[in-house]
Order: sequence, then structure tokens, then C-alpha cells
Amino acid sequence: MARDAIVAEELTYRYGELTAVDHISFNVAESEILGFLGPNGAGKTTTFKMLTGQLKPKGGQARLLGMDVMKNVEKVQGEIGVCFETTNLYEQMSALENLNLFARLFGMRSFDGNALLERVGLPGRGKDRVETYSKGMKQRLMVARAILNRPRVLFLDEPTAGLDPTSSETIRNIILEERERGATVFLTTHDMLEADKLSDRVAFMNQGEIVALDTPHQLKQQHGKRALKAKVAGDDGGLEDREITLDTPETPEAVRKLFSQEKVITIHSEEATLEDIFISLTGRGLV
Amino acid sequence: MNWRIIGTLVAKDFSLFFRNKLFAALTAIAFIFYIVVYFVMPSTVNENLEIGLYSPVTLPVFTGMQEEGLEVETVASEEALKEGVIEGKYVAGVSLPADMMEKLASQQKPTVSLYFTPDVPQEMKDTVALIIRELAYLQTGQPLNIEVTEEILGPDMTGTPIPPRDRLRPLLAIMILMVEMMGLANLLSEELERGTVHALLVTPMSIKELFIAKGITGTGLAFGQSVLFMLLVGGFGGGPLIILIALLLGAVLVTGVAFLISSVSKDFMSVLAWSIPAFIILMVPSFSILFPGAITNWIKILPSYYLVDIVHRVANFGSGWGDVWLNLLILLGFCLVITWLGIFFLRRRVR
Repeated sequence: MARDAIVAEELTYRYGELTAVDHISFNVAESEILGFLGPNGAGKTTTFKMLTGQLKPKGGQARLLGMDVMKNVEKVQGEIGVCFETTNLYEQMSALENLNLFARLFGMRSFDGNALLERVGLPGRGKDRVETYSKGMKQRLMVARAILNRPRVLFLDEPTAGLDPTSSETIRNIILEERERGATVFLTTHDMLEADKLSDRVAFMNQGEIVALDTPHQLKQQHGKRALKAKVAGDDGGLEDREITLDTPETPEAVRKLFSQEKVITIHSEEATLEDIFISLTGRGLV
Repeated sequence: MNWRIIGTLVAKDFSLFFRNKLFAALTAIAFIFYIVVYFVMPSTVNENLEIGLYSPVTLPVFTGMQEEGLEVETVASEEALKEGVIEGKYVAGVSLPADMMEKLASQQKPTVSLYFTPDVPQEMKDTVALIIRELAYLQTGQPLNIEVTEEILGPDMTGTPIPPRDRLRPLLAIMILMVEMMGLANLLSEELERGTVHALLVTPMSIKELFIAKGITGTGLAFGQSVLFMLLVGGFGGGPLIILIALLLGAVLVTGVAFLISSVSKDFMSVLAWSIPAFIILMVPSFSILFPGAITNWIKILPSYYLVDIVHRVANFGSGWGDVWLNLLILLGFCLVITWLGIFFLRRRVR
């Protein structure tokens, strides 16, 4: 059984009167990808900051790799990689200079920046100043910086937000490669499809609390409904829609009737999305 | 404390500082400009003796006295006379008493008051007193029987006369420190606004190491340039070690101010907006060297007064440890307080 890489126990943070994170508890196993979802202001970034040692919790405890984050902050930070939501690179420096700077801060004696740039899809651009890069290139460089120390826990805050499909795909592949290497990934995102595709489990956060935490499949099973959607020939020669809810006692009879009594033109099954589930749990959207 | 991390950050900051074209150019231009200004200023002292005279009675010998090397200008009041001396218009001010003639006639000693700027040499004071006695003799035809009192307007700095360029030296040195203050404040402000500081703080680097690195960068930039300037203008003559220590403390002081400025600035324009008042306030004491009589006690609340005073007295008058130790101590105190405040507020902003 995999050990826990991240453990949050009753983690709490308040900004004055406002409780941004309210006694949340969860754990993330080694080599697991946890998708951390929630609308703006839900407390995701505050949680992210407490787990990475940037904010001291007002209550509860965060442990990474068995260490109390606040008591061993520098040791913990030596084992993690962090990719921020907003670009925070040294723009007047080249990509290689950026990477070499952080490699030195992590105390890495041998480091091949060019190989890393090639891995994130930026071959041959190492000597160019970052200010000349496009948004997608900068984001790929941010991911490269986050993984350069081969972190045991990788924190990614909206790594593909606003990116073109190619850049997004490159970053998703890197996340999966890092997981394969053995890294635990804490992924904050608004992108439901991305979370569904990448995450082993997802946590829904709303108003400072975790309202659901499970695998995407289980969440859909528990909170969503599956349906068959069909288009049948209508009496006037046009097409009419039919929908049959799956997983109910009436489903077999309804399916039999559909095929015996109607002329089915197209039929497909449809699952609830994570966004549907989030809305059903919280009564609000993700943005 | 991880010195490898600190060294890495300092190297990065120096590299970034000189990649900022504006500040790199400003640093170079300002440095060259100050050197040029120094060498353009006269290196000799005006040998003409310009004396202001306040005489409530008509004494033709006094008022009409104009000889080679001596210029006497009559003023309307004693206050105007003092003002002229303070502003450096006259080397000395002579105030004759209203009852001078009566006292001379009755064999009493009239009292003539002499006013001097703080750095007038003793020889000059003696000369002026001698001239007054000589004029009194010419006026009355009798052996001199007057009493001369001297008053120094500001601290007495008896010694050799100071050429204008050397008076300017502390001002130029402090201006160099100020330019670096703005440069460091901008560097810090950019680091905060672009969020790069957060990227640094999720590495094994501690916030203490971050501040030490920034402190070394700021102090190094300011100290290095002010030392180079003083070397080029021959400012280490009086007591090199004292001046080095004073410049080092000055560099720490402007680093502390830069921390404070960056804790409230959001971009280059706000750095500029906060730096200019700081620049002006910290430069005020330098003008007291240019206009010596202008020193009043309030100026001593400005930390830069102690830096300017040490540099001026040591470089221009050869003062030693015994003369400036208290100023060094006060300057150190200001450095500690301002740097602590800078770190306190900047740390809050970083967090």
C-alpha cells in the first residue's frame, strides 16, 4: 500500500474575519495525482500556499513526506516543485539562466538545462530571453522549472490555463511522466476535462470546505446520472430526441420499448461531467 | 545560513541590475557626471578678503576702505551682516558699535564684533582683527584701544580653506549612494510585482537568506561606487579607514531606505515617487557643507547628516577617530533602525 505523500489535518486559514480554509482534511498517496477543483475564492490557492510552506496555517497541520511543513519548511521545499498560476520568471534572463539559477538554489551539481528544455518542447530556445517567449512557451518553462529538481511532490496551479492545445497537451504529458517517475502531483485546475483525464482522485472545494473527494468514476457513480440519448424518426419525417436514464429498475423495459416501438436513427450513452457533479453538490458553477 | 544560496542570489541580482538598461545607464551617467562636476569646480580658494561691514556711525576710513585683496561692503543692519556671513557672501562680518567714536574719545574700549563662517582659518581671523585695529588707528590717529570679540556662526572648523570642489565631495558621494538606493528599490519592487520572489521562496532558501542577499547586493552596489568615486577624487586623504567605514554605513543606510521604499512601491513610477522625497531629505545635510552657516540643530535628525559630516571633516580637515566616533556611532544606530524597519515592512509585503 502506498504511503501518503501529503496529509492535511484540520487545515485552517483565516484572513481577518474571513475563513478561507475551514478545517479541511485529506491525504494524497505517493505517485497519485489529486485534482483540486473549485471556483475562484474557494480556498484552493490558500491551501496550495499552506501545503508549500508559503503560508502558516492558523489551525491544523500539513505534512509532506512525513514532515511537518512549517517545522521543516526548507527541507520540505527541497523535495517539492511548484508551478504557479501566474508567470513569475526572470524575463530579462534567458530560459537556461532561469533554470540554472533554480538548479543552483536546489544545490544541484550537475544539471542539463538543454535536455529539460527539449523535454518541455523548447529545444534550441534556451539562450533566448524569456521576455521574447509566447505565453505557452513561458508556461512550459514554468513547468520545466518546477520539475528540474526531480521533486517527490509536484504542485501545479492551473498549469494549462489559457494555453493553446499543443502547449496544454505537452504539459499534460509531462504531468503523467512525472507521476510515472514516482512523483505525487497536486493539481489545481478549473479544467474539468483535464482533471477527469489526469487525476486519480479529485477533491471539490467550495467556500473553504472540501465537499467531495473521490475518483472521478466514483463521483460520477454517486452523484451523476448516466443516460442513453437517441434520435428517432418522427411522424412528420423529422428527428425527435429520446432520453433513457440508466442504472434504474425501469431501464431495461424502457430500452426494449425504444427499439421495438421507434425507429432509432442514432443512439449514444452520456455520463455526467465533473462540472455537473460540482453544480449538483454546491449549487454553483466552477468559475 | 546557506552562503551558496546567498551567493547565487547576489550574483543573480547584480546581473539583473546591470541588465536594467535604465538603471545601468543612470548609474554610469550619474557617476561620470559627478566626477566631471568635481573636476570642473574650482580647486583653489578665492584669496580676496570679502568683508561685510555694519556701521551705525559714519566712519569714512572704514566704509571707504578698498585695497588690493580687500573688499568691504557696507550692509544696513547687523542681521543682514550675519545673513551675508552665513550665506558665504563674506568671509567675515564686522559690526561696529554705535557709540564707537564717543568711547574712543573718552578713552574707553569700544567693542567690535566679528562674525565668521565656521571653516575660516585662524590666520584669516587674525588678519581681519588686525585690519580692524589698523583701520581704527587710521580713523582716530591714536594707538589702538578697542576690544574685538569673535563669533562663529555654526560649528568652528578652523583649518585650511576648502576649495569648492572639495566642499562638493560629500554631496556627490551621497548622490551616488542615492542613485543606487533607487536602483535597489526598483529591483526589489520588480521582484515583488512579478512574483519571482514567491518562486524563490518555495526553494530551500529561507526568507532570512533572501534579505541577506538583497542587503549584500544593495550595500555592495552603493559602497563600491562611492568608494570608487572617493578614490578618483582623492577623498581618502584624511583618514581612509574612517571614510571607508562611513561610506559602508551610508551604503547600509540607503539599502534600508530602499527596503522601505520597495515595501510600499508597486512599479517603477511609484519607486520614483517615493525615492525623490527620500533623495531630497537625505541630501539636505550636504548643502550645509556648501553653505556652512546654514547648519542648525534640526538637521541632525537626518541620518545622512552624520555621514556627510564625517566625510567632510575627515576628508577636508583631517579629523580623526576622536573627533568623529560619536557621529559614527549615531550613524550606525540610524542604520540599524532603518534597516530593521525596512526588513519588517518588506517582509510583511513578501508574506
